[in-house]
Amino acid sequence: MAETPTLVLAGAEEAPLRSLAAYREAGGYLQLERARAMTPQAVTQELIDSNLRGRGGAFFPTGRKASFIPSPDKVARPIYVAVNADESEPGTFKDREIMLRVPHRLIEGCLIAAHAVQSKRVYIYIRGEYLAEYESVQAALDEAREAGILGDVEIVIHRGAGAYICGEETALLESLEGKRGQPRSKPPFPAISGVYSSPTLINNVETITTMPKVLELGGEEYAKLGAPPDSTGTRIFCLSGNVARPGAYELPHGVTVRHLIEEIGGGVPGGRTLKAVMMGGSSFPVMTPEDLDTPLDATSLGRKGYFIGSGVVTVIDDRACMVQFALRAGQFYMHESCGKCTPCRVGTRWLVQLLRAIERGEASERDLELVLDVCDRMIGKCLCVLGDSDAMIVASCVTKFRDEFRAHVEHGGCPFGHDSQLDGLYAPVDQHAHAPAAEAEALV
Amino acid sequence: MSAPDVRSLYDEIQAVRTRYPEGTRSAVLPALRLAQERYGWLSREAIEEVAEALELTPAYCYSVASFYDMFHLEPVGRHTIEVCTNVCCALVNAQAVLSAFVRELGIQPGETTPDGEVTLRAVECLGGCSTPTIVAVDHRYRQSVAPEDVPAIVEELRNG
Amino acid sequence: MSGAPELVRVTIDDREVQVPKGTGLVETALAAGIEIPVFCYEPRLGPPVGACRMCLVEVEGMPKLQAGCTLTAQDGMVVKTARTSEKAAEGQNATLEFILVNHPLDCPVCDKGGECPLQDLTFRYGPGTTRMRFEKLTFEKPIPISPAISLDRERCILCYRCTRFSETVSEDGQLVSANRGAMTVITTFEDQPYTGPFTGNVTELCPVGALLPTQYRFEGRPWEIVNVPTVCGLCPVGCNISATVREGKVKRILSRNHPEIDEGWLCDKGRFAFTHLRAPDRIVDPIKRVRRRGFEPISWTEALDEAERLLRGARGRIVTALSGSETVELAYALGTLLRRGLDSHQAVLPEEVSSALDAYRLPLSAIREADVVVVLGDVPVVEHAPIVDLWIKAARRRGATILREVDEEAVRGAERVVLIWSGPGGRGGATVAKLAERLGLAGREGCGAFHLPETPNGRGVADAWAACCDEEGSEPESIGLLVVSGDEAAGDPSVRSLAERADAVIAISMFHGLAVGWADLVLPGTSYLERDGTFVNLEGRLQRLRRTATPPCPDELEWISQLAARFGVEISPHPAAVFAEVSERVYGGLAFGEVGERAPLRGYPEAPEHVAPEALPEHEPKPRAGDLRLVAYKPLFSGAAVERVPELQFQRPSAEVALARADARARGIADGDLVTLSSNGRALELRARLSREVRPGVALVAAEHAHGLTGSVSLARSTPEEVEAP
Ligand SMILES: Cc1cc2nc3c(=O)[nH]c(=O)nc-3n(C[C@H](O)[C@H](O)[C@H](O)COP(=O)(O)O)c2cc1C
Ligand code: SF4
Ligand code: FES
Repeated sequence: MAETPTLVLAGAEEAPLRSLAAYREAGGYLQLERARAMTPQAVTQELIDSNLRGRGGAFFPTGRKASFIPSPDKVARPIYVAVNADESEPGTFKDREIMLRVPHRLIEGCLIAAHAVQSKRVYIYIRGEYLAEYESVQAALDEAREAGILGDVEIVIHRGAGAYICGEETALLESLEGKRGQPRSKPPFPAISGVYSSPTLINNVETITTMPKVLELGGEEYAKLGAPPDSTGTRIFCLSGNVARPGAYELPHGVTVRHLIEEIGGGVPGGRTLKAVMMGGSSFPVMTPEDLDTPLDATSLGRKGYFIGSGVVTVIDDRACMVQFALRAGQFYMHESCGKCTPCRVGTRWLVQLLRAIERGEASERDLELVLDVCDRMIGKCLCVLGDSDAMIVASCVTKFRDEFRAHVEHGGCPFGHDSQLDGLYAPVDQHAHAPAAEAEALV
Repeated sequence: MSAPDVRSLYDEIQAVRTRYPEGTRSAVLPALRLAQERYGWLSREAIEEVAEALELTPAYCYSVASFYDMFHLEPVGRHTIEVCTNVCCALVNAQAVLSAFVRELGIQPGETTPDGEVTLRAVECLGGCSTPTIVAVDHRYRQSVAPEDVPAIVEELRNG
Repeated sequence: MSGAPELVRVTIDDREVQVPKGTGLVETALAAGIEIPVFCYEPRLGPPVGACRMCLVEVEGMPKLQAGCTLTAQDGMVVKTARTSEKAAEGQNATLEFILVNHPLDCPVCDKGGECPLQDLTFRYGPGTTRMRFEKLTFEKPIPISPAISLDRERCILCYRCTRFSETVSEDGQLVSANRGAMTVITTFEDQPYTGPFTGNVTELCPVGALLPTQYRFEGRPWEIVNVPTVCGLCPVGCNISATVREGKVKRILSRNHPEIDEGWLCDKGRFAFTHLRAPDRIVDPIKRVRRRGFEPISWTEALDEAERLLRGARGRIVTALSGSETVELAYALGTLLRRGLDSHQAVLPEEVSSALDAYRLPLSAIREADVVVVLGDVPVVEHAPIVDLWIKAARRRGATILREVDEEAVRGAERVVLIWSGPGGRGGATVAKLAERLGLAGREGCGAFHLPETPNGRGVADAWAACCDEEGSEPESIGLLVVSGDEAAGDPSVRSLAERADAVIAISMFHGLAVGWADLVLPGTSYLERDGTFVNLEGRLQRLRRTATPPCPDELEWISQLAARFGVEISPHPAAVFAEVSERVYGGLAFGEVGERAPLRGYPEAPEHVAPEALPEHEPKPRAGDLRLVAYKPLFSGAAVERVPELQFQRPSAEVALARADARARGIADGDLVTLSSNGRALELRARLSREVRPGVALVAAEHAHGLTGSVSLARSTPEEVEAP
């Protein structure tokens, strides 16, 4: 494989590229100038040619999405761009790296996207917990505005206030409109009726930040990188968990999971062995060791029932109890379910109750089937895919680690005792009065 | 931290409103944040003040506030300590870190020390998975926190 | 807008139907005779939300099950519901299983039991057993969200119908959901009661027994009750209702959707005031004033003798004070007795009635379709004719411009213009009719005008009174006898002053405390819920009232008929027969039975004219410089019925004066300040409320708090000393 350059994080490999001067020195904002000299259609065409796909999790072709936005003379309402910087998927921390290390490239991407869809107003929705990240982007934005780079485009940073669901695009738009962050039913899609019922292009931070590089290389050239035809270009993989050198690594699509974990990440530390990988994020099925040689591209992963998601690779070593892992994932989804649709609101809690009972050894073999059945009854029936996500990761744990689940039933408790690093894990949902495990024993 | 703000909350909120198109409710989240920064938490009166400034009902503002984790509808301590216990941190040592805070502060997660100084919370993934355990101390991330770092952090807050 | 809508072909469960493009899939399926079960779907609440997932269907070409309620008919669409798709059936069963995971199975003690969509759908599509063996969510229950409504959060299935009503129909923004996920609950702010003109509608919207009227708690089971269709008689809108009756008693009022009048919404007065029927001070026997001994109940024979005596002695000098809440038949019967039998033609109504608007008639629903709605007059629409306020809100949401005065340019530029006069004054509609004429609205599609009268059936009463006799009498020099018909008249101060000039008074009244004390003879009255007959609402629509409950006293028509016989006048005791007579003269011979369950808006060219059509707009009295014009209005939550209903007391207006922001600011008054209103040496202290609804220059006070103060008032913030003074 030919050496692929760093793109999104280019120039910030060693130290953050924060100031406008430094960014300019590294060629910053030249692509914006070029874009502005092109017609909006030509910019969109470059994106289409590049086959850049969304880095937020759904992997939708970015150029095509931009082409759905009607041209301003066809609609009475203004056109908006919304940048999804809500980054709350467990295991995901790449957008944070971008905002801290190359904030100006994000701004440049926003302005290119705005030009492509002829929008005059961009909202960047940053999750509320990201304070340093917000400050970094705000500083870059102020600098860019001061330098007259924005032109007639206004960029507004909107801060979230703690809700994973606001990463889902329509929930994000609701939240941006000052409402409870509950997803809308689609259609209409945001490209037709997004924020304030206006056409809205919504993209992930990494997707947006890749745009200047697409223009720099040219769409067709970009499309040759990575693992064409579907998984072109690079991606910032989020490596974490039981691995020696966790971190955000920008690599071309197509390196194998094993390469990332063993060569780049230094493998599993402490003489432990790898038991599973949280692949793509907590919203997808977990990977088992026999699939480690799968290349990190959507097609290869898809063939084995995995998803590339937001580029998450979280290593789980052999100490971890997979029932506890599934329970903790389930608790996350219960805590984050918005409560709008029935299967998700009810199913996420029911799953936690079931998994808790299994973990404590207070369940029967039939309960394992019930877990799978409840998952099945959630998948494909919820308003957005948050509920599906819960069901997917939980069901994958039960099917792939059924022996471990069964051992809990037979053993009347967790066979790992206190050895599992997830033992007795306290989840935020336990802080709620109505959590199924509110009676959770006091810590210490 | 900064010089006392002479502007009223009402004026601050009106300034925020100009960032968004007229007639929209987009200023609700920023306005609630401003109120919380001012009063520490969103009391009944604080919510009423926000509602009045935005020409919305208090019920609406309460409904929105209660959806988001970062808005406090009960009083909280002068400082907050938030420990991520999601899987990436948990696989490394989050539970031990949380337990260390519980021991050091003598309170359970979700509680505030009796002197009203510190609120401890377990939170979901903060997006710092490569440097576990992440602890947000007054919303600033501390990376790679280990149980043995806990006493110093608490000490720092108690003296600060 | 123009042209017939494009028809599309949709196949549902192998049946083909043709519907206009864009028709909701739920309605499309219905057209094919197929039910798609729903909970959260309710088109009257705005766009579908797809929350409950009850309506899952399979759509050809879409891999996932779809929420049918969010789809619209497209040409060539092929849909399979649970009837023919195993996947959809499985989806629906799953949704019901999830709903029942937390729903308590307390149906035997739930007031909704037997008329509960959740019960019905579970019976048809649901699982027979539960697989949930853990603790259900538990909440404190039931909690009152107001004195009139209780909330059981355990039964709530979070369909968000109630909160959507509060947000997008009544726009009161008070009933909301709080928290997130499994912890989500329906709530008001900080235990404040859910207050407003329309709160009760949520009890009908709720598809389970979560939101229930407190008045109905344990009052009836579905197999013990009958729902009698009738019309509300408490305001001039005439919402269509059903009265739930058990053992001859009204237990509950439900809406009975008339899409042109009320769209299925009711105000809380109409919904909750019915318990006035059994108020402790209800008069059930005739009462006579006896010199030195006060008042005594007497028998009906004695009462009719006494009435005959009083009437006979005052022939030609009898004046009748009408309430405007009589049925057409009752007014006609009274008129026949007094005019034909006793030569007394003089009657007073609380307000003027004009037929000038007949050329500008529209159904109320046309307001929603208007481009410009001009609301004139000083009294908030909601206080007069609450449902009209909902239509105006719907128009605004659709993008209409709502004006508070005539902006000729805006009006002339618009296609559909609706004028609304919201009193006081307005000469029974003549003023607004004249304005409509000047603006050239006559004969234009979608254009029209409304006058919001004070009385529920003023038009019908006036028409009947005019039609019962061809003679016209002159005003008597002195009043020999005043006949006071109904509680509104009995409670009206101007009627009281007439009574002072009269030699004797006969009153027909429902409650002690109104006429008892000053009338010589009080005959028990009945309520609109106890009468058969017809009403004419503010659109000019003739509607049918049905007797829903047995009154504790004879019907007025019965004894009027007997009394009339004593004067040689024949009048039937049966409303149908009386109506036939009125109809001959006013309603083109329409038969009683043809008025219609959902009465259409008809024209009645025979109707008598009441006011010269050239009536001109009256001039508002200008307040003195620096003063405001005090408008004392009759609040929605007032009147003899409302005063007798414990559950409505919290809704009555507080002692406050509503002001426009500019007027308040100019006087340094903030919301909630105590202010003093003074005029001609009289002063009144009230709390100020700043409101966008109030026009500049006006100080709006509920009549019961104005204590007779009217006209030009000066207004200032009370000084602290004044406030502290007792
Ligand atoms: C529950 C949920 C959470 C999500 N969270 C995020 C997020 O934090 N950031 C993000 O970019 N996309 C997130 N997404 C995906 C977005 O809905 C959307 O697909 C994405 O923002 C589109 O941008 P892209 O095409 O550039 O990927 C989430 C989706 C779901 C269902
Ligand atoms: S209270 Fe009734 S109407 Fe309101 S959300 Fe619950 S079930 Fe739906
Ligand atoms: S009726 Fe369709 S989702 Fe509720």
